[in-house]
Amino acid sequence: MKDNLTVMMLSWEYPPRVIGGISPHVYFLSKNLAKQGVKVYVVTCDFPDAPAHEVVDGVEVYRIDSYKNPAPDFATWVYLMNLNMQKETATIAKKIGDKIDVFHAHDWLVANAGIGLKHVFRKPLLVTMHSTEMGRRDGLHTTTEKMIHETEAWLTYEAWRVICCSDYMISHVKWAFGLPNDKLVMVPNGVNTQCYNNSEADLSGFRSKYALPEEKIVLFVGRLVYEKGVHILINAVPKVLSKVNAKFIIVGSGYMKEQLLNIVRSMGLEHKVFFEGFVDEETLLKLQKCADVSVVSSLFEPFGIVALEAMAAKSPVVASDTGGLSEIIQHDVTGVKVYPNNPDSLAWGITKVLLDNNYRKQLRENAYKTVQEKYDWEKIAVQTKRLYESVLGEYSKSFWA
Amino acid sequence: MRIIIFSWEYPPRVVGKLSEHVKSLATELAANNVDVNIVTYDDASTGLTQESTRVKTVRVANPVRTHIGVLTWVLTLNQEVERAASNIYYQAAKQIDLIDVYDWHFIPAAVTLKNGLGIPFVYSVESLEDHRSQALNTAYNMAIKSIEWLGFYEAQKISVQSDWMRDEIIRIYKVPQEKIVVIPFDNPSSHTKQILSLFSGVTGGAKIK
Repeated sequence: MKDNLTVMMLSWEYPPRVIGGISPHVYFLSKNLAKQGVKVYVVTCDFPDAPAHEVVDGVEVYRIDSYKNPAPDFATWVYLMNLNMQKETATIAKKIGDKIDVFHAHDWLVANAGIGLKHVFRKPLLVTMHSTEMGRRDGLHTTTEKMIHETEAWLTYEAWRVICCSDYMISHVKWAFGLPNDKLVMVPNGVNTQCYNNSEADLSGFRSKYALPEEKIVLFVGRLVYEKGVHILINAVPKVLSKVNAKFIIVGSGYMKEQLLNIVRSMGLEHKVFFEGFVDEETLLKLQKCADVSVVSSLFEPFGIVALEAMAAKSPVVASDTGGLSEIIQHDVTGVKVYPNNPDSLAWGITKVLLDNNYRKQLRENAYKTVQEKYDWEKIAVQTKRLYESVLGEYSKSFWA
Repeated sequence: MRIIIFSWEYPPRVVGKLSEHVKSLATELAANNVDVNIVTYDDASTGLTQESTRVKTVRVANPVRTHIGVLTWVLTLNQEVERAASNIYYQAAKQIDLIDVYDWHFIPAAVTLKNGLGIPFVYSVESLEDHRSQALNTAYNMAIKSIEWLGFYEAQKISVQSDWMRDEIIRIYKVPQEKIVVIPFDNPSSHTKQILSLFSGVTGGAKIK
């Protein structure tokens, strides 16, 4: 018997390379799996000044040369990057001996590498589908989109188990690729509560840069794009202001910015709605801690990590009842759910939270407890480790073992 | 000696002259007691596997049907080649002496199998991207050339049919001359003998059963 369960994680991003949500996901998952005694190797793409090999929080991280081959376009680059990732991973796997128990791939971006390695080493492949091409593009319109969709289908076909971060994504992935129920496993995304505990306690000085003492802070964090529904919030602003004095702080950028600014200007509310653009990590953490309410007014949301972050920052959440948000928030207990695409409903939710101190306190406490119970990385790592073990149990009875 | 040959064309699938060449070589090798396995691309007129006396053929199809170009098509097909080759490897109790790869298409699979399972490969060159594209050097051609380069870099030996091709590979890819073996295809039986001696050099003298 060997001592450690060993997993080879494949991801196209890992800190300091951060493109989207996969990077922090793989970072926290790997780190917490290592804490659970799992030996984790992460193979990822290179990044300027990041070493080709290092140990991060007990995790062996290898960065491959991802621009070795010239590529005519992004999709072709992905497949060429996979060529090198697969070759490097095969070399590492051989060097450490017959020790890898499972390969764990994140999204289609590492599909080819994961599938090939599964067959070459005859070990089970697990995949986490963070998103789908169909969902990202709202359908399949081009040859590239169809190719990516079919690559995703191929990956889920080859995988022993397909992990999704919400029940919403489970049903979406099941439908998109025609997968059987028993192949799908829901393991939620986690949120790091630690970073909110670390920042300084007294934020009144920081707060005064954004709002007057008598003003409540309403915070929106997200890209200023249609599916994030920031325009619903802007339309709700006058309705909220008719009941309660507040400052609206919008963090993020996107193609709707000019349009939104014009609406705010035409309403004569420039002094009440601030567009902050991108802010640095520290400012964001402080803003989330200062917010009297955090608004997530998305029209489409596969998971809704921004709601979890607000909950971890102990900021009450008002969110539209859609996608992953519907599952994260329990109405009246851990937050307020409002009708999607409905400024009146949104204004009602925000006003209700802002006017009732006790209610706000209650939501805060319940939400924080839920985050710690359900979305804690350590618990998610335990769940993931159990999943590896159950897959290995099935594998041990197969002719590959 | 047990070998696997990778070729993207094999009869009845004929794209160029490679198809017949690989078939005649495989037949000759088998007659010389080499256990020959062919991994090639799917052909509508054949089944997935075929066995003649000693040449076994496995045909793989592309798991992704829609493609934006030959490159993505080739790169996704390589995982199926890996699957087929790995199956042969495990069924043969991990006793594969070498892989002989024809042209660039399945170089990615050969490179992974070499680094992951320790199976050496010979890169048999029929043509080069520089000649096919007339040194066009767009990103697309450069990508194919980078795969050819990887093949030259990782191969144990490179086999070509003419001094001219050897000199071209040295000129374009700066490959050391000792790595390249010229085996002309004029006389089938002497050709096979030279290939056999190349193979046994690569495998460190693996016995022909």
